[in-house]
Amino acid sequence: MNFDKELDASGLACPLPIVKTRKALGDMASGQVLRVVGTDQGTVHDMAAYAEQTGNALLSSGEEGGKYVFFLRKK
Amino acid sequence: MELSTLVVGGGFGCAVVFGWVAGRTNFCTMGALSDIVNMGHWGRMRMWLLAIAVAVAGTTALAHFGLADLSQAVARRPTLPWLSLLLGGLVFGVGMTLAGGCANKNLLRLGAGSVRSLVVLVILAISSYMTLKGLFGAARAAWLDPIAVDLKHLGFADQGLGTLTAGWLGLDPRASAAGVAAVVVSALLAFVFKDARFRANRAQVLGGATLGALVATGWYVTGHLGYGENPETLETIYHATNSRTIESMSFVAPLAFGLELLMLWTDKSLHVTFGIATVLGVVAGSAAHALASGSFRWEGFASLADLRNQLVGALLMGFGGVTALGCTVGQGLTGISTLAVGSLLAVAGIVAGSVATLKFLLWRAENE
Repeated sequence: MNFDKELDASGLACPLPIVKTRKALGDMASGQVLRVVGTDQGTVHDMAAYAEQTGNALLSSGEEGGKYVFFLRKK
Repeated sequence: MELSTLVVGGGFGCAVVFGWVAGRTNFCTMGALSDIVNMGHWGRMRMWLLAIAVAVAGTTALAHFGLADLSQAVARRPTLPWLSLLLGGLVFGVGMTLAGGCANKNLLRLGAGSVRSLVVLVILAISSYMTLKGLFGAARAAWLDPIAVDLKHLGFADQGLGTLTAGWLGLDPRASAAGVAAVVVSALLAFVFKDARFRANRAQVLGGATLGALVATGWYVTGHLGYGENPETLETIYHATNSRTIESMSFVAPLAFGLELLMLWTDKSLHVTFGIATVLGVVAGSAAHALASGSFRWEGFASLADLRNQLVGALLMGFGGVTALGCTVGQGLTGISTLAVGSLLAVAGIVAGSVATLKFLLWRAENE
């Protein structure tokens, strides 16, 4: 999947991945896609809740090479 | 069956269910606060509040029908060390946010394969032990705990809201306790269930109710099943509890007692207790859920910054949890289920410390 910006949140524990995702999306334009890579299992729940709550679409949520990978489109 | 075995087995069984349910529903008090601060989402907070409502209802019912004497609980003691409770809670709140979760969350993570959480818990246990009996404990006892209000001197038998209300209004203490609990539980349930999204989330509703019920069950195990005669001394005692009185779910001091037991195993005066069994049970329950759901995965430290944050957080949680007489579960569910004023202070401190740290992390991220 194509993306406009990438955030590496590997090694960061909750709540830092969400804090940094919020910051990253804040610097992007509407419609752009952010790829987030993380290692904290809680991020799976957090990212879904964040997308649902803020209206930024969670395009995909999966695992690659032992890491969690998310694609979010800014609303 | 010996009463001690019954209490330890009962504690372990309750905690296995607690660990499974908390793992299944992603129950996390720091996460609940983070969801509110970072995204305005109250789902997990409603789950925590539902657990509190059920715990208060169940615990009050136990006391009302004479199945557990809550006035014996540590949280309800007539001495109110308000500074220790507030400051300890504040420090615990900062620590759990730095460590990415409280003691309970780290027990859950350990069960799900986090070796990082094992290190956090060992440091937390050492810090907790140091605050109970060591260097930190000397400071706590000298400078913090003496700043207290003696409620007995003011004519109150304990610090329960029901007891205080009965004293102020001249009511029957038993009826007053039931009345105050009814008001608190009704208010909590009204807030929790006014949100349609939460009402539709069956996992969180069932999960919150189950966690609250387990807290009441813990009181029943130690305060009713485990209250009996010691065959050696013929005294009536609370069997297999570290505090030698009625207990329910709590994790910070029991981690220290677990560490002590491992270090001093040959000391025959030390035994596996209800608290130690609950610590092990939560890990076992979480592990069972993680293995059954396929979410078990080994996890270590990812960076030096991660290691630093986790260790500082663990140190603060050990000190704060003992000083505040409990953690997000020990005070945030168990203590509060007795409607003790001190538990409300401790939880206020935990929430304030965590929210302040969350806002600092957010500010730092936005100014990087």
